[in-house]
Amino acid sequence: MSDFAPVLSARFGKKNSSALATYVADGGYESWKKVLAGSKTGEWTPAKVTDLVKASGLRGRGGAGFPTGMKWTFVPPKEKRGDKPVYLLCNADESEPGTFKDRILIEKDPHQILEGMMLASFALDVKHAYIYIRGEMVHGAEILNAAIDEAYAAGLLGTNVLGSGMALDLTVHRGGGAYICGEETALIESLEGKRGHPRIKPPFPAVSGVWNAPTVVNNVETLCCVKHILDRGADWFKGIGRNERNTGPKLYCVSGHVEKPGVYEAPMGIPFRDLLAMCGGMKGGRKVKAVIPGGSSAPMLTGDEMMDVPLDFDGVAAAKSMLGSAAIIVMDETTDIPKAVTNIAKFYAHESCGQCTPCREGTPWLHKMLKRIVAGQGKKADIEMLMQVAGQMGNGMTICVFADAAIAPILSAIPKFREEFEAYVAKSASPGFEQAAAAGITSEVAERTAEGMHS
Amino acid sequence: MSGGANTPVENLPGLPPVGEHGALSCGKELSFPPAAEARFQKLLTRYPTKQAALLPTLWIAQGEWGWISREAVDYVATRLGLSSAFVWGVVTFYTMYNRAPVGRHLIQFCTSISCHLNGAEEVFHACRKKLGDLKPGQTSADGKFTVIEVECLAQCDKAPAVMVNGDDHARITLDNLDAFLSELK
Amino acid sequence: MAKVTVDGRTVEVPGTANVLEACRAAGVDVPHFCYHPRLSIVGQCRMCMVEIEGVPKIQASCTVPVRDGMVVLASSEKALSARNATMEFLLINHPLDCPICDQAGECKLQDNAVAAGLPVSRTVEPRRQFPGYDRTDIGPHVIADMTRCIQCTRCIRFCNEISGTGELSLIERGGHAFVWTHEGKALDNEWSACAADVCPVGALTTKEFRFRKRVWWLDKAKSVCDGCEIGCNISIEHRDRTVYRFLPRVNLAVNDFWMCDYGRFRAEELNGNDFTRPILRAGGKARETHWGEALDAVKAAVDAAVAKDPASVLVLGSARLATEESWLLAQLFKGTVGASQVEFHPDLGPERKIKNPAVPGGWLVGREAAPNSRGAEAAGVARAGKGSALARLLDGSYTPEVLYVADAEFTSRVSDPKFVEALRRAKTLVVHGRRTNPLTEAADVLLPVASLAGKEGTFVNVLGLVQRFQLAIVPPPIVRTDLEVLLHLGKRWGVFDPQWTARAVFERMKGTVPGYAGLEWDSAALAGSDPSASPTSAYDVLLERRLSNPAEILASAAEARGARAAGGEK
Repeated sequence: MSDFAPVLSARFGKKNSSALATYVADGGYESWKKVLAGSKTGEWTPAKVTDLVKASGLRGRGGAGFPTGMKWTFVPPKEKRGDKPVYLLCNADESEPGTFKDRILIEKDPHQILEGMMLASFALDVKHAYIYIRGEMVHGAEILNAAIDEAYAAGLLGTNVLGSGMALDLTVHRGGGAYICGEETALIESLEGKRGHPRIKPPFPAVSGVWNAPTVVNNVETLCCVKHILDRGADWFKGIGRNERNTGPKLYCVSGHVEKPGVYEAPMGIPFRDLLAMCGGMKGGRKVKAVIPGGSSAPMLTGDEMMDVPLDFDGVAAAKSMLGSAAIIVMDETTDIPKAVTNIAKFYAHESCGQCTPCREGTPWLHKMLKRIVAGQGKKADIEMLMQVAGQMGNGMTICVFADAAIAPILSAIPKFREEFEAYVAKSASPGFEQAAAAGITSEVAERTAEGMHS
Repeated sequence: MSGGANTPVENLPGLPPVGEHGALSCGKELSFPPAAEARFQKLLTRYPTKQAALLPTLWIAQGEWGWISREAVDYVATRLGLSSAFVWGVVTFYTMYNRAPVGRHLIQFCTSISCHLNGAEEVFHACRKKLGDLKPGQTSADGKFTVIEVECLAQCDKAPAVMVNGDDHARITLDNLDAFLSELK
Repeated sequence: MAKVTVDGRTVEVPGTANVLEACRAAGVDVPHFCYHPRLSIVGQCRMCMVEIEGVPKIQASCTVPVRDGMVVLASSEKALSARNATMEFLLINHPLDCPICDQAGECKLQDNAVAAGLPVSRTVEPRRQFPGYDRTDIGPHVIADMTRCIQCTRCIRFCNEISGTGELSLIERGGHAFVWTHEGKALDNEWSACAADVCPVGALTTKEFRFRKRVWWLDKAKSVCDGCEIGCNISIEHRDRTVYRFLPRVNLAVNDFWMCDYGRFRAEELNGNDFTRPILRAGGKARETHWGEALDAVKAAVDAAVAKDPASVLVLGSARLATEESWLLAQLFKGTVGASQVEFHPDLGPERKIKNPAVPGGWLVGREAAPNSRGAEAAGVARAGKGSALARLLDGSYTPEVLYVADAEFTSRVSDPKFVEALRRAKTLVVHGRRTNPLTEAADVLLPVASLAGKEGTFVNVLGLVQRFQLAIVPPPIVRTDLEVLLHLGKRWGVFDPQWTARAVFERMKGTVPGYAGLEWDSAALAGSDPSASPTSAYDVLLERRLSNPAEILASAAEARGARAAGGEK
């Protein structure tokens, strides 16, 4: 592990790391130039770039871990798609609670992303690519726009890139503040100027995405990896990581009760114990109570379950959670789990797009129930009901997987920390709904739970 | 023939007053000044459809006028060939378009999980109390501050994270809250 | 075409159909809210959940295109419990106000709660409210109550995809999302009440019908709107001799699922008769009389005039009369009496339009403000042009002895006193009338007749389709239908028998009237589809009662979707 040199974050500490000049001085855009020059001689073809990405074993860094090269091959070939252009969308709508790697990539090394996008655009025959950046990243958008302006000025973008005859435009599109727009079809809807409602699939974006044209949506970090694969080759990339299915360098976002929260780069599959050590251990030397390994949508694991889990797609999945965006939220022994779960439930109630009934109605319901429990108004049966209600929201009940994400923390935390929930209802002032109704106190509960509906 | 979507309400007795979720009027006709118009025109060249420019156009509008009024909605809708209702639906879907004037400093407290674990809610409540018992979203009497709660700002390593207008502020705790506020002029 | 097996029953459906449509074609009712055959598929109510063999996750059937050989389990335990779940989610925030809700009785939420819901409620949380967005006018005809809304977005899609006016939008998001207009704008288009029709719950209701009658008390009669020449198929909904509302009846060739507000809200106009007996006016004094004396007077005047000069009798028919009535008019006056001038003057009204994908151009347009000019012409009443008798009467170059006006509202000009003054120059003025207007006030012989709701017959619409309208409410005693008046009058010349019904007249005339040959009075082609149990799911009529080939509507729904997709989505 110690011989691992950071790749994606290598330039984070440098002065003026976001400027074109420093990027080029560090060998930036060499791959872009190489590929463009090689495209004339036939040395480089789109298929060759795609094959390289395929061979590298790169899996999407946005959350689902879908093999990137394979995603690219779903775009219909020119004979089939006719005049329709292909669009590349860089998903920079990083909103998953606990995730902040893309923000740092954008702010510290924007040209790395641009070069990744250029190479992907070459592979996919894209003439216009968009970066959908979340509205909250005001500076990030400014930095990207400045970087794009520099790239145009340097001839790296435009109608005739570096004299190759290839045209490529890049546009930053700023969102308006909606978590769901990180879902690729919601992102597409939002880019089209609509409410961010996820689309019914099929058709998948690769066939019919933005403006009904074939569309590839890739995460910021994924596109950065593409650049490095083109720099150093598929074998190099494959050589990093725990095994063939989990390759490459990975940015881990560690937050919560650790000594030094932050973004850490490590080979894919680093055990949690080692990552924790990189973060300087737990704050105040306390014990790890629970960890959410992949952003708030990932099922919660206990500290004991977590310690030796290799942090890659398959490793975390084997522990019955998911790597997701590699947002590792660490909770120490002082954490009130029911309150933490309530906080997460509130997030999902607030961010549900409202299309599908189970999610629109279910997420606020779960939040209201949890709020009632932690406010001391719950009863024992409520815990079971939480599990049941959450259990009827996922697995195809909704158009997108937002509802599955919303229920994962509840369905995992309750069985693992049931005694904490039970402690809340045991000391509950309310003896239960029926008795409460008889005692005439339900309206009080009603008032209390109605509070904050519009938060 | 009816007037379609553009029949003014005044012609229809009994229509609702502006509701809690409706677009407020700013009381004047709006149109983009030349610099904004230039940005708007440039925007239109970046997308194959006019509609796609909606979110960025709303950003221009908010940049010019500070918030999205009823007149701004109508203006943007006309410029992009959309219905006002559609534009308002889009505005209200997203959280960052202001639907009323906000204070000079829009203080946005993240209270999502990582910040929650670091006591963000307490800081949020303390901040509102300090500024005169402001309700979430309320603007202080001097027009200086508006305090709201937002979802994850992707600054979880700097929890509790706060954004003031577009600027990021790290680790705002009960201890340094006073210092943080006094820096906002 | 694709062969799909639903719960063991195999059906063949168009390849563009979805699984929900295949289920319905197989006779399996899959409950749903957001699906509508004419609106785009959004798949968001999550009510129509089914299991599909080989697909691990439960599926919303409306979102899945059929595949040849597909096996659908629409009633499996997994499917039923998924629907239970959706119903529970819909009901946790829905108010328990069915007793004061107008939709009760034709509400999809009620129907589906019975079909797919649980008998108990588990929630103790307070229900969502929308202060300021409940029981509020959002347009000239529609009242919105967002506490009842289930966010199916049918109304929004209606305004975007059918009326094309886009007044409505989802506002806010998630659990706070609701449907509204933009502040300061109204839901005001020519078909705004259709948005209330497609609303599966009581969130959108019409002002005109609100709190008037419980829907289960209403009787329904198949009729045809007489507002313009399109001839939208309607259901006259009535009770105790009172008409309460019109609803569109599905007719894929004519009005599809829709009707315009102008036509719809003429319903109330059918109630009431200003005249309960025939009236004779002489020397400025009017007196009520009996039919015998009134009709004898008409005959005497006509006979006297014709004896002098056949051209001294002018008969004005109307594009608002049924073809049967126009035929009697022509037979009696042109044939028997020998009057040379029997003509009608259709009004050109404001243009009415109905969206129908089956029509070239997508819109059916009605320019004439009356339903049956084609029928009148076919029956032998002349369409008046330049130099018509009426025109000559108006310019003063012609003064008839007898002017027989078979419809006091044959043109909107009857409200113009100058126009009536000109008509009044006739020595004897005979008028069929129901409502007091300047023309009825001027009549020497006023014959009280029933409204559209009180009679039956056929109209020929703008497409040349013969459509039959049926009796809804029996007219008041003594008041007669136009048909009966003409039959009794004809009896005085010995040519008609008052026992004849509209059907009997239809049978007599159909051999000679162009376009009527071979038509059957009782046929579905003439009568159209049955009224639906609920305007919300009008298409059920086609699917469930087998009045039409279910494949027809499936194909038309799929086609419309295809056309929309080809046209590019908004």
